[in-house]
Amino acid sequence: MSLRGLVKRFDRKIAVAGLDLDVPAGSFYGLLGPNGAGKTTTLSMAVGLLRPDAGRATVLGYDVWIDPAAAKRLFGVLPDGVRMFDRLSGAELLAYHGLLRGMDAATVDQRSRELLEVLELGTANRTLVVDYSAGMKKKIGLACALLHGPRLLVLDEPFEAVDPVSAALIRDILQRYVTGGGTVVVSSHVMEVVERLCSHVAILAGGAIRLQGTLASVRGERALEDVFVQVVGGRIATGSELAWL
Amino acid sequence: MVVAFVRLKVRLTVNGLRGQPWRAALFIVGVLLGGSFAVAGYAIFAIPGLLDDAPTAGMLLTLGGAAIVLGWLFLPLVFFGVDESLDPARFALLPLGRGTLIRGMFVASLAGVPALATLLATTGMVGTAVRLGGFLAGTVELVGVVLGLLLCTAVSRAVTSAFATALRSRRARDLATVLLAVVAALLGPIQLLALAGAQHADWDQIAAVARLIAWTPLGAPYSMGLDIVAGQVWAVPIKLVIVLATIGGLLWWWSATLERAMLGTASSSRSSSAVRRGTPVSQLVLPLLPTTRFGALASREARYWWRETRRRASLITFTVVGVFLPVVLAVTSGGASGMLVFVGALAAVGLVNQFGYEGSAYATNVTAGVPGRVELHSRVAGYSLYVLPLLIAIAAVVGAVSGRQAAIPSLVGTLVAAYGTGLAVVLPISVRGAYALPDTSNPFALSSGGGLAKGLMSFGGLFAAIVGTVPMQVTTYLLGDVWLWIGLPVGVAYGTGAYVLGSRLAGDLLDLRMPELLAAVTPNR
Repeated sequence: MSLRGLVKRFDRKIAVAGLDLDVPAGSFYGLLGPNGAGKTTTLSMAVGLLRPDAGRATVLGYDVWIDPAAAKRLFGVLPDGVRMFDRLSGAELLAYHGLLRGMDAATVDQRSRELLEVLELGTANRTLVVDYSAGMKKKIGLACALLHGPRLLVLDEPFEAVDPVSAALIRDILQRYVTGGGTVVVSSHVMEVVERLCSHVAILAGGAIRLQGTLASVRGERALEDVFVQVVGGRIATGSELAWL
Repeated sequence: MVVAFVRLKVRLTVNGLRGQPWRAALFIVGVLLGGSFAVAGYAIFAIPGLLDDAPTAGMLLTLGGAAIVLGWLFLPLVFFGVDESLDPARFALLPLGRGTLIRGMFVASLAGVPALATLLATTGMVGTAVRLGGFLAGTVELVGVVLGLLLCTAVSRAVTSAFATALRSRRARDLATVLLAVVAALLGPIQLLALAGAQHADWDQIAAVARLIAWTPLGAPYSMGLDIVAGQVWAVPIKLVIVLATIGGLLWWWSATLERAMLGTASSSRSSSAVRRGTPVSQLVLPLLPTTRFGALASREARYWWRETRRRASLITFTVVGVFLPVVLAVTSGGASGMLVFVGALAAVGLVNQFGYEGSAYATNVTAGVPGRVELHSRVAGYSLYVLPLLIAIAAVVGAVSGRQAAIPSLVGTLVAAYGTGLAVVLPISVRGAYALPDTSNPFALSSGGGLAKGLMSFGGLFAAIVGTVPMQVTTYLLGDVWLWIGLPVGVAYGTGAYVLGSRLAGDLLDLRMPELLAAVTPNR
């Protein structure tokens, strides 16, 4: 995935200001940034959910905004803060995604069952997705993104509100996916997760990439968290203001 | 405290319009319509005073006032929805007493175009009372007019809130259906009375009806000043008690349902974790539909029309209105084909904000890259699974009731033609003018201020659809009995042709605007 000069303005506020990002094929790429840095906006523009004011987004050689049909076939997306069709049961939702991607019914059935079983969501469970817990919602969302066997996965905050057991399961699945030749882009502001999983990281702040490269080159000898706080320019100690605490 | 609520409401309305020229334009049209309603109402209610005609004043003020109250009761249910910019659930965590909350939200709901227009229109009554009975009568009428406005808002808030609460839990939906049927059934006698009254033009009878209504909460606030004119000073305190007790009762009812609304949807009991047989695909796709993209989309849409409260509410409302109006007309005047055109177009208007219902979930279809025409065809198919059988049933009932069974096929033709034309108009609107609905389960909720403006979109679509069927209606009229034979095929062809044109236009529009549409239907968090 390659992003070139992406710009997005909301009213007068510039959310993303000329962002360049290269995600090498086969990498596990972590997009780090504080709240409001433009992570979701960037990923939305990269997958065709939000039209950029300027710039290009290409996925495996296809331009997302010029040839959307071809590009969208190649990736799977787990958006954050976006609802799913949550008045379907888990199995129905998977079938919906599969058929929407133009897969044949037999394949959809077989893969859906496997995914539901592995993710411990239950193949015959009629509970609607709207009644799922937050962790289950993330899992079914991940299953939907994986179903059509994409070569690139774009996951926005996949570990938010997920319990440790589910998180471990998701990590395992993602690592296997990358070992099998897939590419993963995750956004997060949890350093531990990124440090443990990713081969590459980019630090995003104020709508622009501040630092990018392999995990080792970005981190150097220090902890990723220290690098992050320094790059973003946040304050790490409070002064005399909150004395009443 | 109360002032804070009003300022919040005004601020929300203004912010909702900022940077949205399309919405601002709709809002201005709404203001203009409200303004013309106010002026026309003022003129009508002031005329009896200028003519110095006390008997007419008695009828006009009482019946007109009652009509306004009824309008406040029914219009939100059928068309506009309630402005939920001040969603009670958002105040749940604030340390506010229930009394403060009710008072604040009540006063805030007065700060809107409909309330102001109503107030202006009804002040015409004060003018009449002053001319007929002097200063005292005018003062009393002014009190009555203000109380009447309070009654109107209390009625609309209480009834919609109660209705929404009733629809919230799945078990209560049957109850809600019955409630709606009863509400709609009340329309019947009133219509019959009005029609009978108009046909016979028996002023004495109408005056008698008006005298009766003047003692109900509907007419009581607006007839107070006239009691002074007529010298019945004793009637005023009694009517004051009637009106105040009604307002109090409505507010009490509202606050009771509000309490439940504030607790949110957590209580919705779904015990159906029963195991279902079948493969995932066969669970999703309805029988007879293909296991393709189209089949998946249409099945999901069909399930959503039943599983989502807002859609179900709109479907139930359409069912009641669609069956009831033509039947009443068929009974009273024998002919209902004009009303059938209205009903067919009204069915299509159900899709006017189809993308708004699902909100940001539409992102799924955007990332899957569903072509615009497939998207629209499948949505219409899913909705039509409910609507087409209903339209056929309506034609059958109307034909049977009016004693012209032979006309049933041509009635179906008329309905389908109107439905198809309606879709042709509504589909482009649904792509172009989609707006976000708030994330509440109140089926009547609209986000941010300007509910009137959004209701106008439905009205515009309805009107354009009816205009679109004029050529066919003229043909029907010219052909006479021949229409009975060719009505079905010609009507279906007319509707299909219009639909094909409209859906192509809308589909191409959708292909260009998918991300913009997604942004438009995503509620602001």
